Amino acid sequence: MGNSASITAARAGVVSPEQRAEGRRAATMAGLRKVLLPAGTAGAALLIWEVTVRVLQIPPVLLPAPSAIWAKLDQLFLPLILKHSIPTITESLIAFVISTVIGIAIAGLLSSSRLLREALYPNVVFFQLIPKIALAPLFIVWLGIGAESRLSFAVFISFFPVVIATLAGLDNVDKSLLRLCRALRASEWQVFRDVRLPFALPYIFSGMKIATTFSIIGVIVGEFITSQAGLGYLILFASAQAETELIFAAITVLCVFGLVFYGAIALAEIYLRRRFGA
Amino acid sequence: MTAVADFLTLNGVSKIYRSGRSEVHAVESADFTIPSGQFLSILGPSGCGKSTLLSMIGGLETPTTGQIRIAGSPVTAPREDMGYVFQDATLLPWFTVLNNVLFPVRLRQGRTSAYRERARELLEMVGLWDFRDKRPDELSGGMRQRVAICRALITDPDILLMDEPFSALDAISRDEMNVALASIWDRFHKTAVFVTHSIREAVFLSDRILVMSRRPSAICHDVTVPFGRPRAAQIERDPVFVQLCSDLRDQIEEGHRA
Repeated sequence: MGNSASITAARAGVVSPEQRAEGRRAATMAGLRKVLLPAGTAGAALLIWEVTVRVLQIPPVLLPAPSAIWAKLDQLFLPLILKHSIPTITESLIAFVISTVIGIAIAGLLSSSRLLREALYPNVVFFQLIPKIALAPLFIVWLGIGAESRLSFAVFISFFPVVIATLAGLDNVDKSLLRLCRALRASEWQVFRDVRLPFALPYIFSGMKIATTFSIIGVIVGEFITSQAGLGYLILFASAQAETELIFAAITVLCVFGLVFYGAIALAEIYLRRRFGA
Repeated sequence: MTAVADFLTLNGVSKIYRSGRSEVHAVESADFTIPSGQFLSILGPSGCGKSTLLSMIGGLETPTTGQIRIAGSPVTAPREDMGYVFQDATLLPWFTVLNNVLFPVRLRQGRTSAYRERARELLEMVGLWDFRDKRPDELSGGMRQRVAICRALITDPDILLMDEPFSALDAISRDEMNVALASIWDRFHKTAVFVTHSIREAVFLSDRILVMSRRPSAICHDVTVPFGRPRAAQIERDPVFVQLCSDLRDQIEEGHRA
């Protein structure tokens, strides 16, 4: 037995330190390339934008140069933009959390009951097809012009992707693992907790990533219609004043927030998948 | 455990799959009895219904006719005192080796600390204790299957069911695993039902072999293996071993033609 164990240890693959260092260097280069190439492309695009605006002398009301937008952002961030960023960011985060929880719960429900699934799933898919933005005014009719209607609308548009993705994950579980669970007399809940959910984790995260963007869109649309504060309101206000630089400054903040938000979810995914090896 | 002569009994057990108007007779009228402590192999060509028969003994499928009894009580669902090893190791990729072995305990009672010592004993026995914190995808196929065997033994079951557990392995790992299983057997000495299509494997591991034919899907021979235990890998060169293998091959082919 001792003999066979050492044989299998060798078979598991032992890599020398040199090979490992070599592999790490190659990985770092590939990683740098992956970051630098798109960043360089974006930088070049900004540069072309800047030069075009200056050379063609495009009026700032139509299209301000990136440097002018940056100056505006620098000038107004603390006195004005930050104040409007806070409600937008908070509401997007809340909407995202609610969508994720509701989305996973509904997917869990649909995957656990055949009846519910047959009754609801086609309708869920049908709902996906509705241009949901068109329903935003209804939420104001129902819930008024407060944060509730914006939040509900944002949740409404962002929980669908979570449901669809999670359900795909819960359903695609390796059938042999389910057979094992049956042989071990596992309860439905135990199968969900130990098998279906961990298996669905990558799927859930892909749904959550979509939900980050959708929850921001939902809140901004809500602010366009009703709000007295928030970046959506600020954009609308700036457009009424023909302050195009301010519009772009607000959009820049939204982009940065969206990027950080998405990045945080992507990092959480890497951490969890490493932790649970899914 | 004192030996019980009729620990596992099958009475006229058959399985018929119906789809529309066609019927597939997966297993036809199986009748046999195993005393406790016996290592029984069900040997037959692929598609002869041997895995279906095992699933019914394990309570994963219900017989169309007949009855299966373990220790006197009819089998209607998977039993607590049963360990199951499947064709694939079916380890949970998100659990470590140790937690995979403890998985049945986790399902049964939540807390696993009381079984940690036993898990260590089992993993040491198969030479994998040093790999306890690894994930299944870091192991070779043979190592994964050894973890699956430890998992089946963790709750100290009275009966161990194995469904072609080594058929996905290469020939060398397969021989290794047979030796490993034989030595596990010498220590634990449960009742085992082992499904395989490898004649050599069946003879090396078993006390008794039931040969199944494909058409009809029924048991056509009941063979006793005349070797004692412990068994060394060398018995494969024994003339009696070689003769038994060739007899079994004839019986399987005869079942094939019929």
